[in-house]
Amino acid sequence: MNGSGFRAYKLAFLLPGLLILLAIILFPLIFTIRVSFSSWDAITPGLNNAGGINYVKLFGDVRYWQSLGRLSLMAVGTVLLQYLLGLGLALLVWREVKLRRFFRVLFLVPMMTTPVVMSVVWRTIFHESLGPANDLLGMVGLGPFQWLTSASTAIVSVMIVEVWQWTPFMFLLLLAGLLSLPREPYLAAAIDGAGPIRTFFNVTLPLLAPVSIGALIIRLIEASKIMETVYVLTSGGPGTATETTGYYIYIRGLRDFEIGYASALSITYLVIMIVALTIIAKLLVKVFIGERT
Amino acid sequence: MMPKLYGLLKYSAILLWSAFVVAPFLWALTTSFKTANGVTGGPTYIPWLQYEPSLTGWRSLFGGAGGIDIVKPYLNSIVVTGSASAISLVLGTLAAYGLSRFDYRVGPAKNADVLFFFISQRIMPPIVLAIPFFLMLQFLGLLDSLLGLILVYIALLLPIAVWVMIDFFNNIPRQIDEMAMLDGCTPFGAFFRVILPNSLPGIIVAGLFCIIFGWNDFFFAFTLTFTDAQLLPVAVVALNSSVTPWWSLSASALISVAPLVLIAFLVERFLSRGNLAGAIR
Amino acid sequence: MPLHLENLSLTRNGVRYLDRVDATFRRGRLTTVIGRTLAGKTTLLRTLAGLQAPDSGDLKLDGVSIASVPVWKRDVAMVYQQFINYPHLSVLENVAFPLLRRGLKAPEAQSRAEATLAKVGLSGFAARRPSQLSGGQQQRVALARALAREAPILLLDEPLVNLDYKLREQLREEFRGLFAEETKAIVVYTTTEPAEAMMLGDEIVVMHEGRILQVGTPVDVFERPASTAVAEIVNDPPMNILPGAVVDGRIALGSYRLALPAHLSRLAAADYRFGLRATDLHVDPASEIAGSLVFAEISGSETFLHVETAFGPLALQIEGIHDIALGTQVPIGFSTERLFAFAADGALVVAP
Repeated sequence: MNGSGFRAYKLAFLLPGLLILLAIILFPLIFTIRVSFSSWDAITPGLNNAGGINYVKLFGDVRYWQSLGRLSLMAVGTVLLQYLLGLGLALLVWREVKLRRFFRVLFLVPMMTTPVVMSVVWRTIFHESLGPANDLLGMVGLGPFQWLTSASTAIVSVMIVEVWQWTPFMFLLLLAGLLSLPREPYLAAAIDGAGPIRTFFNVTLPLLAPVSIGALIIRLIEASKIMETVYVLTSGGPGTATETTGYYIYIRGLRDFEIGYASALSITYLVIMIVALTIIAKLLVKVFIGERT
Repeated sequence: MMPKLYGLLKYSAILLWSAFVVAPFLWALTTSFKTANGVTGGPTYIPWLQYEPSLTGWRSLFGGAGGIDIVKPYLNSIVVTGSASAISLVLGTLAAYGLSRFDYRVGPAKNADVLFFFISQRIMPPIVLAIPFFLMLQFLGLLDSLLGLILVYIALLLPIAVWVMIDFFNNIPRQIDEMAMLDGCTPFGAFFRVILPNSLPGIIVAGLFCIIFGWNDFFFAFTLTFTDAQLLPVAVVALNSSVTPWWSLSASALISVAPLVLIAFLVERFLSRGNLAGAIR
Repeated sequence: MPLHLENLSLTRNGVRYLDRVDATFRRGRLTTVIGRTLAGKTTLLRTLAGLQAPDSGDLKLDGVSIASVPVWKRDVAMVYQQFINYPHLSVLENVAFPLLRRGLKAPEAQSRAEATLAKVGLSGFAARRPSQLSGGQQQRVALARALAREAPILLLDEPLVNLDYKLREQLREEFRGLFAEETKAIVVYTTTEPAEAMMLGDEIVVMHEGRILQVGTPVDVFERPASTAVAEIVNDPPMNILPGAVVDGRIALGSYRLALPAHLSRLAAADYRFGLRATDLHVDPASEIAGSLVFAEISGSETFLHVETAFGPLALQIEGIHDIALGTQVPIGFSTERLFAFAADGALVVAP
């Protein structure tokens, strides 16, 4: 639509939102970049010019890089789990099931809850002696676990909470995707004599590719920011076993008040995430949808 | 035999997952009615059989001992989430419509780039913005204020509104807009009289997502408020110390997640009337 | 109140959609614009409507330039080839919509809308939604909305192309009646089908690659096409254009010779391109000109034969249903009294 007279309207539609977003996001971003080149901390507050000293420092910050690795593992792990579970659930309640409507809503509920608030509840659940987790598992003979106090199981606990919280998101998108699938390929597959498993892999899954990829990318973006769950559940512990990058930066920046250094950590975090997520997104699209100009 | 077995497995799986979903709520529910003896001796589950139920936990929500006043954070959350969602929805829908219908050009940046800019805001880890937001709000005198929070939340929710609505708009043929303009509507007229009425499902979905993400935010509320503008999630987490009794904790947790759970059930009724079926495409 | 198009040009992505178009449309006249796909017909209409701005040139209504008037201020009604109606409004509300926008009071808008619906045969459908109607009915709603407005300019962009054959024929007849009553408006109707253009238009505009090739009455354009391009466009199947020459007082087609018909007797000896309609060719066992059958198509009660001769491909349209094996050598008879002669550059020299 580009006849005459559109110009004013064009701008009126886009500019309010765009400008407000720019104003609220751009200045802080630029500010953070500027601060990352200073050595602002509790002892020497203020914007001085310290060159790239923070960036040099973060290169050798083992704890930072470990947190990134940990975060990647947790993010990819939980998202994959969420996808598989979400897909399974969507397939289960997709067609004729009793009380289908009820289960569809029920499965959505965790996503609607406040993650930190539910983490508070989960903390009581995972309590080793007073919480129901060990109690119930004990009833079926499974030994008590050190949910939040052992390095290896702590990560599992965080992942359990994340899976509980966000599988509904995958479920929602995949179910909507399944509901909008055309009938014809299934009729064709039935005529060709394909059984349920073959139909699933050769018809359902490929048709769901676009929705799946969208859901995976969105969840990966959100999962790359895991911090609140860790804050409430384990405080990054035990030790640094569940310390994600977000949490680590929080400690350095808002608790130890090393603002300059934390800013450098943040900016690096942001850049790495943008690059990684863009690559993953493009890769997923290319592999599962094929080349598209 | 096979169909029966398959049916059995299917319902078992559904019930298993349902149990997993419901478990934390049930646990919080029973715990909220406990007092010391229901907790310190080990986990208990059934009221009257295993412990003596009491309303202490629930009463502590209104300023009782060991608890907090939940009313003020509740109201704050409603105001902030409502306002920020409404504004984000309006601005985001307008922007999404513009991006869907018109060709923009700012130097080398075109529509796809602007859209990427909007959506990529979600990649921004909150921590990157926390400090500058703090300093910015402090400078404007908006720290620990509802207005300051609303401004920050708009930046978070606007991309969501744009992301949802642009897909909807792209699925409406441009000729409908053109027809409205031929019939005498300005672009605004076409948008309000014709496109919006046909986008109601999308607006509801976008609004819902805004409300969900707004209500459930913790980090920004945590770093940018202290007492006056305290929001619900912060209030609940503030209780998360080893001093606060579990029954207060559980009661406050339940009451803060209740509204959205309710909305989930309400939306489902709307969904099942087929209105949203075409929307989530 | 004539509408003048002056030197309109529009190029997008290297494609010339409008190439220095000059035309005049008058009130009370139905002008059909015929051309192949991508000839520029739709772009022409959209430029008239204000949905697209030309790169250069001007549009004048009654001597006043309207090129910079935004679409919502021009009083132009348009019917699209896709059935475009407002999904959220009833049929009646659809038709009344532009009337209300132009300031008519609700009762008056409603009665006008009802009258127009009756005109297009949709009287009982006022309360339905467009999605509940068939394709043909939806297009009638779109038409009613365009007619109810009584706009000075009415544009129709291949409105029947998405309907099935029978419905097309039926609506074409109805259109003739409907538009005969439109004595005040400028009506422009685009199509790719010669039959439609011939039947509906008071005047035909032939477009090709963004340019106007010829303007005239249907008879004019059909009997005296200005060039081979026009001849191919306004005939269905396209007129056969054969490269040949006049040599020694006879028509030379490849190595074949034909006697010169009377109307071509005064042609100078030179290279020509000869045109002959598919209906003016027949299977003639006595003819020495033959081609091998490449493709045969049966349509209704006629058969179309596509043959490959030594001097090029030919299309024949013959009565009856004939089943001829591919590859058969088909002897072809020429009704040379129906032969057109075009110059080597395509311009018309002599018409029968």
